[in-house]
Amino acid sequence: MSRVFKLPRLSTMPAWFGVLVLEIILLIVMAITQPVFFSSSNISNIVRSSAIPIILGIGMTFTILTGGIDLSVGSVLAFTGILLSGFITQMPRTSAVLLSIVITTIVVGGINGLLIGKLGLNSFVVTLGTLGIFRGIAYLVTNGTTRSMDTGSLINTLGDGNFGPVPGPLLVVIVVAALSIWALKSTYFGRDVYAVGGNEFAARLAGVYTSRVKMTVYFISALLAALAGIMQVGRLQSAAPTAGAGIELAVVAGVLLGGTRLSGGVGSITGTVIGLLFLQTVSNSLTIQGVSSYWQQVVTGVLLGAAVLFDRFRVQYSGRRKSREENNVTKE
Amino acid sequence: MLGITKHFDAVKALQGASLELHAGEIHTLAGENGSGKSTLLKILAGVIRPDDGKIAIDGSEVSFNGVRDAMSRGISMVSQELSLVPHLSIAENVFLGHNQTRGKLGIDWRDTEKRAVEVLKRLNLNVNPKEEVSSLPQHEQQLVEIARAMAADSNILLLDEPTSSLAPNEVEALFKVVRQLRDEGVAIVMISHRMSEMLDISDRFTVLRDSKFIDTSPRAGVTEDWLIERMVLNKPKKGIRLEKSTEKPELVLEVKAMTDRGGAFQDISFNLYKGEIVGLAGLAGAGRTELVEAIVGLHPRKSGDVVVAGQTIGHSTRATMNAGVALVPDDRREKSTIHDMSIRDNLLLAVHGRPQKQRSKKSEEKIVSDWVSKFKIKMSNPYAPISSLSGGNQQKVVIARCLETKPKVLILDEATRGIDLGAKAEIYQILRELAAEGLAILVVSSELSEIFEISDRVLVMHAGDLTADLDRSNIEESDVVSAATGAKK
Repeated sequence: MSRVFKLPRLSTMPAWFGVLVLEIILLIVMAITQPVFFSSSNISNIVRSSAIPIILGIGMTFTILTGGIDLSVGSVLAFTGILLSGFITQMPRTSAVLLSIVITTIVVGGINGLLIGKLGLNSFVVTLGTLGIFRGIAYLVTNGTTRSMDTGSLINTLGDGNFGPVPGPLLVVIVVAALSIWALKSTYFGRDVYAVGGNEFAARLAGVYTSRVKMTVYFISALLAALAGIMQVGRLQSAAPTAGAGIELAVVAGVLLGGTRLSGGVGSITGTVIGLLFLQTVSNSLTIQGVSSYWQQVVTGVLLGAAVLFDRFRVQYSGRRKSREENNVTKE
Repeated sequence: MLGITKHFDAVKALQGASLELHAGEIHTLAGENGSGKSTLLKILAGVIRPDDGKIAIDGSEVSFNGVRDAMSRGISMVSQELSLVPHLSIAENVFLGHNQTRGKLGIDWRDTEKRAVEVLKRLNLNVNPKEEVSSLPQHEQQLVEIARAMAADSNILLLDEPTSSLAPNEVEALFKVVRQLRDEGVAIVMISHRMSEMLDISDRFTVLRDSKFIDTSPRAGVTEDWLIERMVLNKPKKGIRLEKSTEKPELVLEVKAMTDRGGAFQDISFNLYKGEIVGLAGLAGAGRTELVEAIVGLHPRKSGDVVVAGQTIGHSTRATMNAGVALVPDDRREKSTIHDMSIRDNLLLAVHGRPQKQRSKKSEEKIVSDWVSKFKIKMSNPYAPISSLSGGNQQKVVIARCLETKPKVLILDEATRGIDLGAKAEIYQILRELAAEGLAILVVSSELSEIFEISDRVLVMHAGDLTADLDRSNIEESDVVSAATGAKK
């Protein structure tokens, strides 16, 4: 039996392929039924509104790939915005942005990373804790009020404006996604992320510093959540303690829809981008069709269930095929 | 020449054990489970640190600060459970731990794959390095692990029970590679529980018992008796066959034309009679595990019936259990023990389905203490986690749990894998007594010696077919082997 060459088949297709097909079908259907969907303002709207979930989703992909999860991203997003609203009156805008990102990354990444990576605590519990802490701090500092501010061009470009002909948020997504794809595929760190999620014991036995890898992914997730916080401020021209409330679960849904396995070891940034873009397109389409936003949540849930079900069939199909192949080998 | 000496005092796992290893030799570390063999290997590999003692390589003393450090000095371990990352490629698994080729733009995959093919070729493994490692059969995955050690330029290779999950033909293939590496000058330390294998491949032996060094000797002076004498204080009694009644046996279990939905086995029919022990032999991958799991409703089946005492049983685990068929699965860690629960709770899982009024703290205590004394389960107290027991004692707990459901048929899948000789003998004795009490027992085993030791009748499977049904009284080892390998007579 030749093991060297195989035609691509269902079981070897990337898991996000099905979602991509759905996305394209959805786009075609919308183009035919609702001309307004393809207006430049609506497309730009989809791109801008999916940027923040995608940035958060990329960080989430790193943590989920190691077999963890980061539920604190929504709170961290709000916390960064509040931090920025404080700094922006004290110093030049660029420094305020950098300082907010650095402080958030060190504090949040430090807490999550040390507790989960070094001490080996459960990621769900730890980040559920930090979710509460940073949301709470955001409320405490602002007393629950929204702070408007004059953001200036840099922050505005990141969150909402244009960089030349390209929407700023799109540019941020492209840069972050490209760097992440490269890091996961072509650096030792990236491969360690997959190894830790796939079989932590094996990785340790092979000499990988597993706790350091786990710590690093929470720093990355905090860094990207902070960046998303700045973008959110740029988009709304204000910092609200309620910003990004509940977004973490939508982000996890998109990541899983994109084929990343919740138990770790399998998944991709490409999948995450497609998964979250798809969720955003669906919600935008439903809005245009005049469907209530309550229905959108139901649809998201159904899609997630369908994606997981599809993946299960895919795995079963390939498993069955494998056992048959093994039989043939023994018969020969 | 290369010598390692090592003395240290860990809590109890190892007390002043020592081992001397020479280049180009295969050195077997013998001893029962819990004698400290694995601990010793783990220390050599840098996984855990000794509390005391010395390690010297080529005469100069070293101490390891973690696995990486040990690896950089040429020591690699292949652990008992496969430690590969299933969804990464073969090449990546070979170079896991940062031995991939580094190019200008990060990792150079093309060169990494090329190097992987070279290493794998040395081990006679021709595979596509891009494929997921989980697509390989288990024995080839093991070679990938050895390839990892070779890729790290190791000259000391530690193999912790490398053959425990391999079929005889795979063992032979592995040993060929191991011998080849030895001839290239690699020093190999191996742990095995199979006597014939140890005697077959080793150049030297070191025996540990109760965490202590007992003896060491080159192959020339070693016989099976020599080893057993040193490994166990009380030599296990050779199997005494209990007298079987001559009455016409009563049919208990009928399996009719069973076919697997996934294609692992097809059209299997056989009967089990009251009070007999039937061995089910075959090579790994012959479909035995799938078959027994399909019988108890754990594995999907396409067609076929299970009939217990005249009643056809539905395809569900609950139905088969109620009908009186119990399975001891092949993988203790994954399938039968609940690791974080106590010995007592693991045992009492069997009674969870009973009505509330039949359950009381007192009756539960009695169940536990009865089984513990009946099976001589060695433990500190029933509330200790089951993972604190040795493999043999864990297996006794699992068997006790199955028996507590009052089965008519007991199926054991590789029940003595990774269990030391003394505990094996005890389990065989237990099975014989149970059969004498009227239980029908089906024993799936890849070890021929085990099949011959306890079976009254032997079934053989090959590639999903039942190829032989042989009575114990007139059976030759060669009959079983030829049926298992599908050789035509």
